[in-house]
Amino acid sequence: MNTVACYKVVADAQDIVANDDRTLRFDKASYVLGEYDLNAIEEAVRVASDTQGRAVLLSAGDARLSDSKLRKAALSRGATEQFCVVDEGMARADALQTAAVLAAALQRIGFDLAFFGEGSADAYGQQTGALVGALLDVTVVNAVSAVRVDGGAVVVERSLEGEVEVLELAAPAVISVTSDANLPRIPQLKDILAAGKKPSTTWTVDELGAACAPCVEVASMLAPQSVARKQVIYEGDVDEAVRSLAADIKAAK
Amino acid sequence: MDFRKTEEQELLLESLRTVFERGNFEDYFKECDETHQFPDKAVEALVEAGFSTLGIPEEFGGTPVDILTQVMVAEEAHAQGYPSLCWINYSTEVDDILTFGNAEQREKVLAHALEGRKPFTLGFTEPQAGSDSAAMSTTATKRDGKVYINGHKTFNTSADRAPFMLCVCRSGVNENPYKDFSMYLFPMDAPGVTIEKLDKIGNHMCGTYEVYLDDVECEETDLVGEECKGFYQLMKNFEVERLTLCAANVGMARCAYDEAARYAAQRMQFGKTIGSFQLVQEKIVDMRIKIENMQNMLYKAAWKKDHGESIMVDSSLVKRYTSRAAFEVIDEALQIMGGIGYTNDCRIARLWRDQRVYRIMAGTDEIMVHTAGRALVKEAR
Repeated sequence: MNTVACYKVVADAQDIVANDDRTLRFDKASYVLGEYDLNAIEEAVRVASDTQGRAVLLSAGDARLSDSKLRKAALSRGATEQFCVVDEGMARADALQTAAVLAAALQRIGFDLAFFGEGSADAYGQQTGALVGALLDVTVVNAVSAVRVDGGAVVVERSLEGEVEVLELAAPAVISVTSDANLPRIPQLKDILAAGKKPSTTWTVDELGAACAPCVEVASMLAPQSVARKQVIYEGDVDEAVRSLAADIKAAK
Repeated sequence: MDFRKTEEQELLLESLRTVFERGNFEDYFKECDETHQFPDKAVEALVEAGFSTLGIPEEFGGTPVDILTQVMVAEEAHAQGYPSLCWINYSTEVDDILTFGNAEQREKVLAHALEGRKPFTLGFTEPQAGSDSAAMSTTATKRDGKVYINGHKTFNTSADRAPFMLCVCRSGVNENPYKDFSMYLFPMDAPGVTIEKLDKIGNHMCGTYEVYLDDVECEETDLVGEECKGFYQLMKNFEVERLTLCAANVGMARCAYDEAARYAAQRMQFGKTIGSFQLVQEKIVDMRIKIENMQNMLYKAAWKKDHGESIMVDSSLVKRYTSRAAFEVIDEALQIMGGIGYTNDCRIARLWRDQRVYRIMAGTDEIMVHTAGRALVKEAR
């Protein structure tokens, strides 16, 4: 099966600084592959390799996407080729705009299975995979913790609360995998060296004819209000301590 | 001059850091240090991530890479707290055998090296032959088509785990010892080999042994390279081996520095962090200067070697400087930690014990003066 793993280049969360007024500063941030997307890449590569297919990568973003180190970082994880949609507007794109671009690109690439992470490592909206599937009018499943291909059928497991749902789907389909679906490989030097020689194709949003109006307006983006630690120590009788803790939690709500 | 690492080097170092993040080895290393165990789990993780293959030719299952990158990798591993004398890359040992060994010897050594296992302990130092290597007296005597090894080697790292010894012996052919040494490769479980563990103050994860060789029977084909050329054969890679040791020095110093600097930024005394006192800041500044100097000197030497320039003098300078400067950095880091630094609960205590031997092994600080000093004076003549 031919697979496509979609990924996003995001600011490294460790480098994002919250100002006193809760606004965020990204100026010292280095950019990395979204952590959850590594699971999508790993799954796409594994499924393609198990089925003698081909795994490729797809991403949409601003000029950072063209950074050669980030390209090598992505391509050192087993996929054979990379497609990028580079457009300055993509940095501010909402989930629908991103999905429209990815869907158009996926149509052009062609695929049996398109893989997404469980959410982007920045906004973590968990929307993009589902929207892409809807726009392409193909099967969509999210929260997938295991994928196997059985003949022509794709069998996926979804870990739900208290049960594991097993579904059989037909390709083409869009699958969002959880972060425990696999352990992403650690690229070795030979993979890193090979990555620099793999083909990469870049499109613009206009070339794909995929521009669409935003459906979400971002009013503000603020860090959570920091709350001082209460520094209460519950001692003595356990039942009594639990009651006090519960009462304090209720009172704090 | 371009001081940037290449993208490939950066990505490789990121992969290395991922191994350490996933392994979360700090407590494990502490336990191994306490119980004098070899850190197998960490070795396995690094081997699985391909780090044992670096620098070994592709046709033998390796991934060729320049010396500078190998140095950076070894440094980074030690900066992440990887224990000294346990490094999993044996590309120089492999090169020794690929260059001078026969097909059978190559195969044996490669198999272990690719698995990150020390393929052989080097039989070099003897009780009466420390810095004075010409005083080595272990003999290889030919008798009835066999070769018999007799002698006493010491300070053999990993003699308990290494499957072979690469033993430097007098052949009894030439008066001049340097033109009389031959190397033999034989299994450590051969009859006549006994080992005795030394009780060291540090490097507890890697055992060091005395090795007694009593009529150890070898085949003539166990000779590595040419008879009486053993000493010169060993010289082929000793400069690069020296650089790898220096990389461990820099890494251990960075490890101690990072921990002490973090501590200085947090530890409160007299109502403020100790890092706000200038006496502590002075330590941190001087430690950082030494780390920068060590890195610059080491990387330059590696770069020169990669570009075919001689590092005969450089390798001695960098060995002497990094061994001493790393010890000074670690010692000051311990000082910043105060009493906690002197407890085995603190990683810096281990680094302090472990790194000290780098001023002695593989050429003492003083021998580095001897080797570089003469050349420098000659150069000025």
